[in-house]
Amino acid sequence: MATTITKTETLVGKRIRRREDPRLITGTATYVDDIQMPGMHHACIVRSPHGAAKIKSINIKPALELPGVAAVFTGKDTEKVGPVPCGASLPGLRVPHHHILAMDRVYFVGHPVAVVVATDRYIARDAAEAIEVEYQPLPAVTDPEKALASGAPAVHPEWPDNTAFTYHQEGGDVDKAFAGADVVVKQRITSQRLIPTAMETRGVVAEWHTGDRALTLYSSTQIPHLLRTLLAQMLGLEENRLRVVTPEVGGGFGSKLNVYAEEALMGFVAMKIGKPIKWIESRRENFTCTIQGRGHVDYYEVAAKRDGTILGIKLKLIQDLGAYHQLLTPAIPTLSVLMMPGLYNCQNIRADIVGVFTNAVPTDAYRGAGRPEATHGIERMVDILAAELKVDPADIRFKNFVSKDAFPYATATGLTYDSGNYAAPLEKALDIVGYKKLRAEQRQARSEGRFLGIGISTYGEICALGPSPATPAGGWESATVKIEPSGKVTVMTGASPHGQGEETTFAQIAADELGVGIDDVLVVHGDTAVVQYGIGTFGSRATAVGGAAMYYAIQELKEKIKKYGAMLLESDDVSFSNGACVDNKTGKSVPLAQIAAASYRAMKLPPNTEPGLVATYFWEPPNFTFPFGAHIVVTEVDRDTGAITLKRYVAVDDCGKLINPLLVEGQVHGGVVQGLGQALWEQAVYDDTGQLITGELMDYALPKASNIPWIETSHTVTPSPVNPLGVKGVGEAGTIGCSPAVVNSVVDALSPLGVRHIDMPLTPEKIWNLVQAGGGKA
Amino acid sequence: MKISGTYAVPTARERAYQLLQDPDILAKCMPGTDQLHKTGEDEYDMKMKVIIASIGGSFGGKVRLADQHPPESFKLIVEGSGKIGFLKGEGLLNLHSNGDSSTEVKYDGEVQVGGTIASVGQRLLDTTAKLIIKKFFEKFSETAKT
Amino acid sequence: MIAQDFEYSAPTNLKDALGLLAREDTKVLAGGMSLIPLMKLRLAAPGQLVDIGRIADLNFIHEEGGTLRIGATTTHYQVESSPLIRSRCPLLAEAASHIGDIQVRNMGTIGGSIAHADPAADYPASLLALEARVSLVSSKGKRDLPIADFFVDTFTTALEPGEIIQAVIVPLEDQSVGTSYQKMLQPASGFAIVGVAARIRKSGGKIAMARVGVTGLTGKPYRATAVEKALEGTAGSPPDIQKAAALVAGGVDANSDLHASADYRKHLARVYTMRALAIAASRTA
Repeated sequence: MATTITKTETLVGKRIRRREDPRLITGTATYVDDIQMPGMHHACIVRSPHGAAKIKSINIKPALELPGVAAVFTGKDTEKVGPVPCGASLPGLRVPHHHILAMDRVYFVGHPVAVVVATDRYIARDAAEAIEVEYQPLPAVTDPEKALASGAPAVHPEWPDNTAFTYHQEGGDVDKAFAGADVVVKQRITSQRLIPTAMETRGVVAEWHTGDRALTLYSSTQIPHLLRTLLAQMLGLEENRLRVVTPEVGGGFGSKLNVYAEEALMGFVAMKIGKPIKWIESRRENFTCTIQGRGHVDYYEVAAKRDGTILGIKLKLIQDLGAYHQLLTPAIPTLSVLMMPGLYNCQNIRADIVGVFTNAVPTDAYRGAGRPEATHGIERMVDILAAELKVDPADIRFKNFVSKDAFPYATATGLTYDSGNYAAPLEKALDIVGYKKLRAEQRQARSEGRFLGIGISTYGEICALGPSPATPAGGWESATVKIEPSGKVTVMTGASPHGQGEETTFAQIAADELGVGIDDVLVVHGDTAVVQYGIGTFGSRATAVGGAAMYYAIQELKEKIKKYGAMLLESDDVSFSNGACVDNKTGKSVPLAQIAAASYRAMKLPPNTEPGLVATYFWEPPNFTFPFGAHIVVTEVDRDTGAITLKRYVAVDDCGKLINPLLVEGQVHGGVVQGLGQALWEQAVYDDTGQLITGELMDYALPKASNIPWIETSHTVTPSPVNPLGVKGVGEAGTIGCSPAVVNSVVDALSPLGVRHIDMPLTPEKIWNLVQAGGGKA
Repeated sequence: MKISGTYAVPTARERAYQLLQDPDILAKCMPGTDQLHKTGEDEYDMKMKVIIASIGGSFGGKVRLADQHPPESFKLIVEGSGKIGFLKGEGLLNLHSNGDSSTEVKYDGEVQVGGTIASVGQRLLDTTAKLIIKKFFEKFSETAKT
Repeated sequence: MIAQDFEYSAPTNLKDALGLLAREDTKVLAGGMSLIPLMKLRLAAPGQLVDIGRIADLNFIHEEGGTLRIGATTTHYQVESSPLIRSRCPLLAEAASHIGDIQVRNMGTIGGSIAHADPAADYPASLLALEARVSLVSSKGKRDLPIADFFVDTFTTALEPGEIIQAVIVPLEDQSVGTSYQKMLQPASGFAIVGVAARIRKSGGKIAMARVGVTGLTGKPYRATAVEKALEGTAGSPPDIQKAAALVAGGVDANSDLHASADYRKHLARVYTMRALAIAASRTA
């Protein structure tokens, strides 16, 4: 028996490059559109050009006459499929019946009306154009506040007030807090609709196996298992006869955390025509038919003492829902309410949400999902309060932070913050940016008539979604860890990573735990026929919940490994470390590969032990995790043009323990860039008739690499006690922390003009107008 | 989208007004339009093929004249739809006499655009609308001269 | 790209290409940075595409009789990086460097860009300031046009059916001339919200010549002759430049869209004219 033990290097905490990258950057990954099958047909969807209209007639004949067209289906054919599910439940929620194809009325531009099936994509598209749909346009409404006004066009005629739900939450004694306040600041703050714009648009391939009465559906989704359960219901299929495969997913950002009409529609078509069918969403469709993010109009009031102590927060939140509920649409603003107090020790809060129907594509989860809006709100209000009280925005934050001794900390919104040291990242960020010196530079710049601004945001977020009772579906995650007969390790995670890098980070954790090399571990995900039931990747949960599930599965395996080790070493005192079982008395050892081989060969079994080395663990987290951090942005405004220059960007995040700092930084970078997008450039603009007038990348301004400043990242580490890995999640941190820091910075720059608030995006013309209006003051 | 502007046409106001009511003249001056077919009092069917540089599309629709106050003003309503989108324009035209052989035509209106052209052509709508109107008046001036 | 059906040909010599242009529903493909997106959206549906990208005779940069001739299919990147253009007509290289992104600059061509005549394209401002000429060719023959006559209106040029651009002709500058192209870009498309090209020659401490081209402000690019006249003969001091630049948008019917109102555009035109003139003046020997 081998007695030498090689000390395995610890991988957790190392900057390891992503193992998924070689296939991505060499163009050899398989996305939905790469799937080819014999006899495959192609679908093109006819969509409404109107924001609201009655369908008077549909003439499909001209399409059917084109050579190569196999079928055309309209709402009448698919009436029994569906409806598109809403997974969120709120008291009194009005849920419109969401058919997969429109029946006699369309509710938004892009609403699917018919589907053409043809032998190739070009014919399908030509045929879709040949279909004659006669519409009777109706008045539409796209502004949520206008939709609430009396006399507004009704999105759904049965609910003329356009109100899908109202929701009230209260903690502490708000009225008393406001009555006893020295100062109350109020502000209307909007968070504009954003288009998630994953680089890969959505796509579906569906294949019906007639003989087996089984459907295989490939979809670019974040939630293969939930999709399977819900699609099976929509299609009237037995769940175990539906296999969902998630090939490579080119970005989701929440937009693929959903169940879409097109997914059910392709299943329906495949079952009808008995041939494989493919639908690839165009960029135009992606802009008009995939969910959008944000869409808030918030009215904030904050009460405080003269010394800056925050006493109470009131929020009236108007959520633009769009025309329907997608999977989580109405739940998103409730996340905003949960995070209303931010990092501050304020026990008196009151929130009222109105969810409003509009003639636009539904809103739903987009990177941060409700939390960027909440952070933007509270962080802007704290700056407004600081300006009102003429105190430093850093000082007012230090004054109000939940103290580091107060954890676990129960919030007025019913959460329990797991762990934190909120002052630490702000202190570090101030130090990195050179705050005192910067303020001196700012005074100098102002004396020269230049607008230099320093903006701080200190954010908190709810991650690791989440305990099952607090989430619309289960909030647990699953993992199966298999040690193959050769000793190689296969991890099957129920989370469905799509760019976050868990094929790397999970392998790091598993390799350390099992004492094997990282290349000995393979992480598999995204196929319901291969992987046990799981929930998916969203809400910064994959590592904090799915990683923990894997950790526990490995611990179970270790016990079994030790039993085999004891048997092979003929010892009753063994330990497992560095990839081998060691006899604690003799020092003799047996490596994992040998143990694995013995467990499968099963010539002899330890007492009460099964052959094989496989463990599955479904882990239910006891709480969310609450990462936090501080971002500081330095900007300069060109007074002649209103253009903003980002001079510095400092991000200090605390996401608990870092598995792979390289990937953490990548997540922060990506998040910050999307936050900058909202702060400075992006906006989904609808006109009054429901036309999305930023319908292509020519008018919808995504951030570009050349517009992004150097992002100076750093971390503080406050481990989470919620999971054994001590991790908190970092997928959304950058997005959540970013936008208020940018706006605070620009408002700070323009504060000599008396500017107090600016709504996003901070377009040069908007800024220039403010400079013009306040010209006399500086 | 709001549109407004003025054009001077080289003919007297009464004649300018009269020509602007004539479906054959309108058809001749509207870019890409061959004919207007009368469907009712001051109401016509139209087919229009718009080609501006690379962009091209056919529209079918209606042209309607309303609120006529000869020779001072009238409303021109154009509705059209095609594969690349649809549009609905309503404009008030005011004619001011500038002597015996010149009339200033002032237009003020609103154009609603939908479909692909609304969604992807924002950057170009304003300039394109102006170009089409300009072409109309150029042709009209030429016609009015003869 | 799911475009409508079209025929495609890629002739390797000019004669064949001109022959193919006889067909009425033809569009010339010269990089395709504007045409292809339009075809993708089905806003353009030509029956035939004639790709002139493989005609070697159309891709060149050379000196000829005191001018620089740049072939129609010369890419923006070639213009931006050509040592000859950078040293002898730096304004054009600077303008090219502002176009789109690196991918666009590697594909898009000078002939394709000006033939499309996008009212917010970058080249026209510089070409107007340079008083460039355009050399056109058809199966019937050749002709040269001043660039100002080439741009007729929004997306409209003087090109006749069957005619294509062969070359763009710009002056060889000497050290006495200073130039600059300044632009505010639309953050989504990268096109100019306003772009101003300035070209100045100084002599005896005075501005002997000023040329100003403006793009993005109105339906077609134009030369701001009022600015030029106001500046010529002055010392080109900051107040001189400010006074002259104030005239840039006079009488102009400015564009208005989602990204910038007409008033803001006019204001930007004044600011960018000032900046372009100041930089150009600082670059004169």
